Amino acid sequence: MTRVVVADSLTKRFGSVLAVDGLSFVLEAGTITGFLGPNGAGKTTTLRMLLGLAAPTSGTALLFDRPYAELEDPALRIGAVLEATDFHPGRTGRDHLRMLGQAAGVPDSRVDEVLRLVELADAGRRRVKGYSLGMRQRLGLAAALLGEPDLLVLDEPANGLDPEGVRWLRDFLRAFASGDRTVLISSHVLAEVAQTVDQVLIISRGRLVVESSLEDLTSRVGGAVRVRSAQPERLVAALAHEELKAIASGDQALVVHGASSERVGEIAFAAGIPVHELVTEGSSLEEIFLELTAEGES
Amino acid sequence: MIRQVKAELLKVRSTRTTIGLLLGMIALILLFTLLTGLLATASSFAGAENQRQFFSLSDLAGVFSALAGVMLVASEYRYGTMRPTILFTPHRSQVLAAKTAAGALAGFAFGVVGAAIGWALGYTILTGRGITIVLSSGDISQLVLGGLASVALWGAIGIGLGAVIRNQVGGVITLLAWGFVVNPLLFGLLPSVGRFMPSYAGDALVGLTTNHLLSPTVGGIVLVGWTALLAAAGLALTAKRDVG
Repeated sequence: MTRVVVADSLTKRFGSVLAVDGLSFVLEAGTITGFLGPNGAGKTTTLRMLLGLAAPTSGTALLFDRPYAELEDPALRIGAVLEATDFHPGRTGRDHLRMLGQAAGVPDSRVDEVLRLVELADAGRRRVKGYSLGMRQRLGLAAALLGEPDLLVLDEPANGLDPEGVRWLRDFLRAFASGDRTVLISSHVLAEVAQTVDQVLIISRGRLVVESSLEDLTSRVGGAVRVRSAQPERLVAALAHEELKAIASGDQALVVHGASSERVGEIAFAAGIPVHELVTEGSSLEEIFLELTAEGES
Repeated sequence: MIRQVKAELLKVRSTRTTIGLLLGMIALILLFTLLTGLLATASSFAGAENQRQFFSLSDLAGVFSALAGVMLVASEYRYGTMRPTILFTPHRSQVLAAKTAAGALAGFAFGVVGAAIGWALGYTILTGRGITIVLSSGDISQLVLGGLASVALWGAIGIGLGAVIRNQVGGVITLLAWGFVVNPLLFGLLPSVGRFMPSYAGDALVGLTTNHLLSPTVGGIVLVGWTALLAAAGLALTAKRDVG
């Protein structure tokens, strides 16, 4: 696999604050990675170091085997959006793209192409101050796409988008990464990117706390199912037969770990045991996320 | 590098800031030329030096050209476009060099417009009042060409200043305070030092012969020196600072 991004012990200190603390990770070609953490965890600072906007206090970040600033015309390989607001309000969206494109030798025809791609063709000749937040987000994305990059780095792209915008973005990113292209997308809300990404990096207080595939993370979800039955002893036996351990939880209720509510229900049904209550307890994906990032803070 | 300069020139053209500054410059040149030309006594236009003073509009144009330069850098920080600009051209020296070139080119355009209006109107008024122009063609070409050079350099000086200060309001105030307060004060109190200030180096370049001014050649060199000094300071700081 091609290693598109290699961060090695990235560290950034602002005065006495260690914003990013020895962060190391690798992104391989063709992956969509969610870069997650609460606000202030060091996500944006990390992205700025990857992109050569900020110098690491120590450590290195390589994109396509070189530091960003040493790439020849990096915009032709890497597209990045750090802020949804990086526009001069008095400039038209199209001129914003043209001025960036000219610096990378991108022709105006490509400018019109990306404007169509992000559905801003009609608004391109209007000044940005008249754009909605969603339009600005898409204009930023258009700028990142100008050079037909193989790697897309987006900082909180779903911030302020309405549900329709979030869905548009998700569909777009999936289509983008369907080839061998790579996406790194940061967010402080796991649920926002859970349907888009295939792996996650979770950081807290500048440190990496989880590096995992989304599947592994999801398998931690719904760890417990609470089931209440008039015949708890029989249910315990039926579950044990399926190698599931049930713990009595008073009032004829049992708590089962390691199975979905559907599975527990089916086992009870197959054994002919009436069930009075069946609920998934404990962690949703978001709760796991909060738990993990809280661990990093303790 | 040519691509970067083209991009910077598009930035200059694609907002209303530049056209606003250009209109401001035109209004002030019209005002100055009309008021002085129509109201001053005929005797105050006697002699070459008085006429040079009347036709030397490069100070006025220079202020607006420098403001355009400051804005070309500071507005990128103000509106965050410096981020994509550096993402597209990560060599910050290239960004700054392109901006300096664009600032000088825009300044040159300001100078051409200012000179055309100032000369056309000034000449019409003076001849209309029956005042003979005593300037030689050498005087005139020095006024025009020296003026164009100094207005262009002011544009580049504005870029350097903007890169050092980065803040839009701070940059504008610094420029105006420097040009309109510090320079004349220094020249009045300590002319041997004040004549090295860019405003007075520019006056020397267009051939004014006020007491204590440098020679035109030295004035031109000093003005280029200021441009280089600010560009170097701006580059050193831009290369070192993180972009927020």
